[in-house]
Amino acid sequence: MLDTLLAATELLLRLDVLLMICGGLVLGMLVGALPGFTTVMAMAIVLPISFFLEPIVGIPFLIGVYKGGIFGGSIPAILVNIPGTGASVATTFDGPALTRKGQSRKALEMALVASAVGDFLSSFATILVIGAIAAIALLIGPPEVAAILLLSLLVIAVTASGSPIKGLVMLLVGAFLAMIGQDPIGALARFDFGFHQLQAGIDLLPLIIGLFAIPEILLALESRKASFVEARQTRAEGDPLTWREITASRRTILRSTLIGGTIGMIPGVGQVVAAFMGYSAARNAAKDPSRYGKGELDGVAAPEAANNAVNGPTMVPLLTLGIPGDNITAILLGAFVAQGLRPGPQLFEEQGVLVYAILGSMLIACVLMLLIGWVLMPLFARIVSIDKAYLVPLMLLFAVGGTYVYRSNPMDLWFMIGFGVVGYVARKLAFDVSPLVMGFILTPPLEYAVGQTVLLARGDVAGYLVGERPITIAVLLLAPLLTAWILVRQHRRMRALGRESASKVDANAPQEGTETDGNARVDLNRSTGGQG
Amino acid sequence: MRLLETTFVALAAMVGLAATPATAQTFPERPITMIIPLGAGGSHDLNARVITSVLPGILGQPVVVQLMPGAGGQTGTAAAAQAPADGHTLIFTHNFIDQLQQFVTDLPYEPNEDFVSVARPNTAQPILVVRGDSPFATFEDLVAHGRENPGDLRFGHSGNWGAFMVPGLALMQAVEVQPTLIPYQGGGPVIQALLAGDIDFTFAFPSVLSGQDLRPLLAVGETSPVEGVPTTDELGYGDVSEIGIMHRVVLAPAGVPEDRLAVLRDAFSKLDEDPTYQTLMERLGENTDLMGGAEYDEVRGRQAERYRALVDSF
Repeated sequence: MLDTLLAATELLLRLDVLLMICGGLVLGMLVGALPGFTTVMAMAIVLPISFFLEPIVGIPFLIGVYKGGIFGGSIPAILVNIPGTGASVATTFDGPALTRKGQSRKALEMALVASAVGDFLSSFATILVIGAIAAIALLIGPPEVAAILLLSLLVIAVTASGSPIKGLVMLLVGAFLAMIGQDPIGALARFDFGFHQLQAGIDLLPLIIGLFAIPEILLALESRKASFVEARQTRAEGDPLTWREITASRRTILRSTLIGGTIGMIPGVGQVVAAFMGYSAARNAAKDPSRYGKGELDGVAAPEAANNAVNGPTMVPLLTLGIPGDNITAILLGAFVAQGLRPGPQLFEEQGVLVYAILGSMLIACVLMLLIGWVLMPLFARIVSIDKAYLVPLMLLFAVGGTYVYRSNPMDLWFMIGFGVVGYVARKLAFDVSPLVMGFILTPPLEYAVGQTVLLARGDVAGYLVGERPITIAVLLLAPLLTAWILVRQHRRMRALGRESASKVDANAPQEGTETDGNARVDLNRSTGGQG
Repeated sequence: MRLLETTFVALAAMVGLAATPATAQTFPERPITMIIPLGAGGSHDLNARVITSVLPGILGQPVVVQLMPGAGGQTGTAAAAQAPADGHTLIFTHNFIDQLQQFVTDLPYEPNEDFVSVARPNTAQPILVVRGDSPFATFEDLVAHGRENPGDLRFGHSGNWGAFMVPGLALMQAVEVQPTLIPYQGGGPVIQALLAGDIDFTFAFPSVLSGQDLRPLLAVGETSPVEGVPTTDELGYGDVSEIGIMHRVVLAPAGVPEDRLAVLRDAFSKLDEDPTYQTLMERLGENTDLMGGAEYDEVRGRQAERYRALVDSF
């Protein structure tokens, strides 16, 4: 075992390997930062390059693109409130608020650190216990996916901020929008109101660009200030992240890594669910949850660490069974087989050194991402300092261009504009749109998993779950307990906070990973609208 | 340095920067767009990446892949149908999208009037698989169990009216077995479900088969890609073979000038003889059973009739 690892390290520590990983990371970050260009697209385009490289160079290159791309999505989410993917929606809760306070650099660097640490730890754990994860992955079928999605929705709902009724309304609207098109099991058209264009359903990308970017652009136009950033510092991007701030967030990052790593075993929806769960958990654990949504550094660290921690376990079915769980791993599978390597148990035996070297490249990619990001983030952060007269048209260009370039469907532009109006009105009426996005993203997999479960049960759902799916039953039993625990905790903390403010004791700074510097309390209600 | 050079050349070819001398009157005079009506990372995407990394050398122009997924392939196909019929827009699709969909939904195009075949670069033969420790040792065992217990066998497939549901349905109708059909989101998840024991059987393409704890029982088609596994032809279900195989096909909007169509068809013949193409396809575990466009247009006509019958009977 040790021999294998040493040989693998030797294979990996070559200049061309490291350079290609760096190239992949930079490419991935740039593509990921452009709305509309997905990580999967970037990987598919550069895949043929790997055909003509050695496996130990080509596959780490693709892994670089993968990791860079997933992280890159958080850059526009933090700077201009445009989440490029579902996974970075939770990052918009606190990221843009920090940007407006003139702390875009801190926010980006926190996202970078959280992403790299979360990814590194989950990849490392994956390498250590790859066999156990592979065994668990086989226990997760449609009934378990359904139960875990239900549990996630419940947890996110009870920990959400703002009015629960408004949140529920938005959640249901999102769920309904997701149902337009075809029903996933029978493939029958539904809710298309006779429009052929609706038969294909609504895609996530025009929906999130519309809901987040368009209102941001309209609000920026309404405001009379010349700069996007409201703070009065000389440098719009603000100060760099300090070591103290990183250590203050360590609990949040570790908690999110654990959540993300666990959720990573669920195929498909992992990253989105992980990001929201990570955020909810951090908010729930915070001494003062009211700071979240107003520009809290932990609010950026939590979703970013969680969605990147998903990456490690998603590689497991690919490497141990040769089965790609999603499109990204399907492309990696293509890269493997084009090299004459067939991932699976045999590959571990025959090419153990190479497999461990590739696993090791995941770790190296995280370290390199941290280094490259540390150089690039201040440059990205400066984008928001350009004059609003240029920045707003640029945002519009990216919003419209990104929506179209995604799959060249003109209909998507109409959806984007429509959701832009919805998002704008929602902001003005103080409705938070994130439950809508959650409902939209989680309804299809939930419906699919429930439909599959009913079919798998062949008529006797209760008997099937009790008799054959103990994990599902366990998760379903856990849901009310966890909800009760969260509610009790919230109640206690409210009382404690009440007492604290009554006795006016404020000198004692919070010990947990929730502290930020003094100007975190700048009033942002006007610009963050519904999230206040 | 060679490494960087290769990378750069490959990258340049991909993004369409490859400068190639082309006189004004020749076809193609600008980059060719190849629409794929499916998402990134699927087997079509992988095949297309190989084809488009070799084809530019033959045509003298870059070939750009444009992924247009949505509505089970309709979005991309509709866009291709509306594209100018000048030979610069092609679609890389398969027979289930091309010929079967017209019977299960209303399409905004007419497949057999709006498109003409350029080539069928290759096929993929679905292989019926069970778990390595399954009680079914042969296809006959599976059929015997299925006949005695209607609805008991769980047949997982990769999506409605897709590459595994169609051969499975046709085959089960031929042997008069009624399984419970369970859709999964693609070929990967369905194999994982089989290995987990959630379903009793499914199909897999040969490229997925090796190294897994799976037992192949039957291959759809004429000759078997896996040694010792019988085929539908051998067992007397020849009808299933023709409609159950996945034909990967390149189509052009109808009305492409004859001389341009000839250039394109010729390019695919040359592609099939290219050693790089052959090597890459072999590594991917894909065959290179090219069929010319004219010949495949006749196959399309036959497929349409058969799919109509299959859908009507379901």
